[in-house]
Amino acid sequence: MLATITQHPLSKTLFIFLLMCVVIALLAILLAPLLIPIIISFALYAVLEPMSEVFERHGLSRNTSSLSVLLILVAIAAISISLLLPHLSSQLSSLQTQLPVVWNSIMSMGNELSQHIARSLGLDIQSSGLTQHYFDKANEWGKSALIEGSNILINLSILLVLVPIFTFFLVRDYRTFRNHLLDMLPNSVFEQAWLIYHRVAHQLQEYIRGIMIQSAIMSVMATIGFYAVGLDSPFLLGLIAGVLNLIPYVGPLLAMVLPVLLALGHLPVDLWLVGAAIMVILTVQLIDNIIVIPSVIANAVNLHPLVVIVGILIFGNLFGFIGMVVAIPVISSANIIYNGLHQNIKTRQILKQNHDKTAQV
Amino acid sequence: MSSNHPLWHNLFRPKEDRISEVTEMWMTTPLFEKISQRECRELVKTMHPRQYKKGEMVFNSGDIGASIVLIRSGAIEIKAAEKLLAELFAGDFFGEVALIIDEPRTADAIATEDSELIFFLRSDLDEWVKRSPRNGAQFMLNIATVLAARLRHTNILLSLQNN
Repeated sequence: MLATITQHPLSKTLFIFLLMCVVIALLAILLAPLLIPIIISFALYAVLEPMSEVFERHGLSRNTSSLSVLLILVAIAAISISLLLPHLSSQLSSLQTQLPVVWNSIMSMGNELSQHIARSLGLDIQSSGLTQHYFDKANEWGKSALIEGSNILINLSILLVLVPIFTFFLVRDYRTFRNHLLDMLPNSVFEQAWLIYHRVAHQLQEYIRGIMIQSAIMSVMATIGFYAVGLDSPFLLGLIAGVLNLIPYVGPLLAMVLPVLLALGHLPVDLWLVGAAIMVILTVQLIDNIIVIPSVIANAVNLHPLVVIVGILIFGNLFGFIGMVVAIPVISSANIIYNGLHQNIKTRQILKQNHDKTAQV
Repeated sequence: MSSNHPLWHNLFRPKEDRISEVTEMWMTTPLFEKISQRECRELVKTMHPRQYKKGEMVFNSGDIGASIVLIRSGAIEIKAAEKLLAELFAGDFFGEVALIIDEPRTADAIATEDSELIFFLRSDLDEWVKRSPRNGAQFMLNIATVLAARLRHTNILLSLQNN
């Protein structure tokens, strides 16, 4: 009975799959301090690799083309930082000073609403102190999120050193390193492992390229929209909307929060501005869903929306923002690996059974 | 310590002798006709050499194929339903259909001697085609020619059997 269970293709697949998960988890723990630069470098590698291929096609050696790609990356980063960082810092600090005003404005609105409910329905919500409690909580969360934002800007300098170095070596050596790792596999699984790897790599590259292009388009569209309706810090809000767009389904909802809060912060409350902020996000989302997603990342991942949402929530709970961003590629890769393993093990089992039957005859 | 000292060598760099020899072998096959030796040599660097013991299966009929295989040394038997289809030796290649379609292998391949085989994977071919489309197109044309010749040969055999 036990032998039947252990020999079953499903249990064999599960065993190998779980073993792989354990190895990957151990590696992730070991590389924890470098995980963010590694993830960013891999994302950049996926985007820059085609550029390096173009250079190679024009006769440049692997070394020269990798170096050219690195120089282009550094140049783009330097120009972006020199142009954008002063704006970003000033918009971030103005947002930090603006936030208490925003919360006060929202609190006074909440109080007015509670008094209105108390007058018309006879319910005393304010006396319970719930409103105050939640506003205090939200205020704390908002402040800490902005402080986190400032910390990210500081950590950016560390990333700026590590990411170009990692990216250069990935563009130059990744293929060779990957070949040698996969060549260590036994003969019996060598081809199948390559097939699975190729499917995973292809899907990941498509997804990363797609989502980065999508985020850039979203950032530009949201910035223009926020600027047009006269919202404060349009560039920062657009950038946040683009970054949050890296998280499918949940990101666009989160992107709506800050612009709406800022619009609510104008005293007296300008309902037109609140509506305009929501309209900008909705319009950008509509364009994203109708034009950008179908042309840029359609079919990049083939997962059920429920799996995507649950996955994002679990990964977000475990690993924070980065967890939410990497949830989809990780789940989708795990899906391909599991299916590939299962298909391979099942085929071998059938072949073995056929062979045994032929031998008996 | 000079740069020629083994400690400073790149452990991942493929052996030059093997690259030259395998390049020569591929260049004598119809697959690399009208493709420069330099281009073939660059491609050989991405290929995967593997050692097989006598009697070891290279692949089974039903396995999903992912590569074409060149025999660098040793010998391979190709069998279908226990019937010997071909006996191949150093310089021969097999499994080229897997470079074109993602379908199961239609025959078994077994090493009849200790062998060194060079695998050229479809994923490497895809990368090469993207990097060098003109050479990739020529390679595809050469494969089509080989497959057409084999199909013609099989048709003649079948018609002879029927007659």
